[in-house]
Amino acid sequence: MSAPVVTQIPPHADAQPEDAPRRRRGRGAAAAGAFVAILLGGWQIMAGTLDSVLVPGVPEIGTYVVHLATSTAFYSALGVTLLRVTLGFALAFVLGAAVGIAMGRSPLARRFFEPGVLIGLTVPGLVWALLCVIWFGVDLVNPVVAIALSAAPALSLSVYQGTRTIDAQLLEMAHVYRFPPGFRLRYLWLPSLAPALFAGARLGLSLAWKVIVLVEIFGMSSGVGYEINNEFAAQNVAGVLAWTVMFALVMAVLEYGLLQGAENRAGRWRKVARI
Amino acid sequence: MTAGNTVPGIVLDGVSKSFPGRTILDDFSLSVAPGELVALVGASGTGKTTLLNIVAGLEPPDRGSVRSGADGGRLGVVFQQPRLLDWVSARVNVELALKAAGLSPGDALPALAAVGLAGHADEHPSRLSGGQRQRVAVARAFAIEPEVVLLDEPFSALDELTARRLRLLLQDLWSRRSRAGLLVTHSPGEAVFLSDRVVVLSGSPARVAAEYRIDRPRPRSPEDPELFDLQRRIVSDLTRD
Repeated sequence: MSAPVVTQIPPHADAQPEDAPRRRRGRGAAAAGAFVAILLGGWQIMAGTLDSVLVPGVPEIGTYVVHLATSTAFYSALGVTLLRVTLGFALAFVLGAAVGIAMGRSPLARRFFEPGVLIGLTVPGLVWALLCVIWFGVDLVNPVVAIALSAAPALSLSVYQGTRTIDAQLLEMAHVYRFPPGFRLRYLWLPSLAPALFAGARLGLSLAWKVIVLVEIFGMSSGVGYEINNEFAAQNVAGVLAWTVMFALVMAVLEYGLLQGAENRAGRWRKVARI
Repeated sequence: MTAGNTVPGIVLDGVSKSFPGRTILDDFSLSVAPGELVALVGASGTGKTTLLNIVAGLEPPDRGSVRSGADGGRLGVVFQQPRLLDWVSARVNVELALKAAGLSPGDALPALAAVGLAGHADEHPSRLSGGQRQRVAVARAFAIEPEVVLLDEPFSALDELTARRLRLLLQDLWSRRSRAGLLVTHSPGEAVFLSDRVVVLSGSPARVAAEYRIDRPRPRSPEDPELFDLQRRIVSDLTRD
């Protein structure tokens, strides 16, 4: 089974000045690798001891993972799920940013939205998934709304906390120079809120992955969750695990690859400034 | 564009402002004629910055009225801190003010050139020195061709040599076009060098303790003995309590 670890460049003997941080990174990768190795080893020992069809061994799961990675069924299911997540997350992001900024700007708006955010944070994703299945059936609206409802409260809270870090002096500057609302949003609010938006996006995405699988299990006839449910119905535990592992891998790549990349780009001015 | 002599200047009429437990201004009146730069000097806490914030529209007065050329026109403000957007270049900082004022963003580069920063236009503010950042702020304030300019201790965060260079620069920018201005400063030297009239404030609520008209023609020299003499009189006013 492939280990969900970002491969690090091993330290080179000829690299001299930046050797120490590289070695540290190498050690970090080794530690993460050790965790995965122990997990796989432990699983294999457990499977061997139990000797049950319900606990397949690592080679069996690995074979299925490879089978999925080379099949078109996996990629089409993944594409369907990613589309739903993207739309739902986009809706959650716009809602969360709007509510969070409103809460930060006006105490009245804060008091107004506070109960909504608190209720939203405490309602389990499972409940949203069930409700949306009941209300919207197999329509694309179903997963999109379920994800938006699950992720928007956490995003709002994160954005609201970010609004407290906005420099009041810059707001005064924007006021005296009569910046139109579009300028304020693009050049003042969004750059100031970027760290909070990324933290919120990370949290929101992790909630979105969990909810989309539930929605697809209960109410959709396509997507990764649907496929997992099929494997479950066929009592193919290796299949359930393989789908889960592959899905988690793709999400990790998206989260660390895409999101991290975007965050680095957004924070580029800091580096430009530091040179 | 409004011609110089029709700019209404700044008129504060019977303005009162208090904060919990303290009256800063009580029935305070002051007018700045079109084309005039008035310096407000006084000890800390005499309400100079509050006064400026009221003119800038950042704080509403409790009572009284404020009218200025900025009501229907443009307002340029140089704060004590540059207050630039760190995530965009110096040029974009000026461009945004120009666009917000309905002017051509193409004027940003000439404005930066006028403060000697043509070569740094595309740098981010945090790469510039403190004096350079403040020059960007000055460029932004004057680029929009404001009817009213407010200067809130614009050079007090800078070292003396840099501040002196910027005062000369400001004098030059000021002379190019007629507008009304208020300069809040701790420095009597800066007040007499830059302004047409120095208003000494004291007490709480603030009242006008003394007023000096400075008729020396521009460009003035920082070493002008007559200005130095005025400066000494203002210092003695300020220390008289």
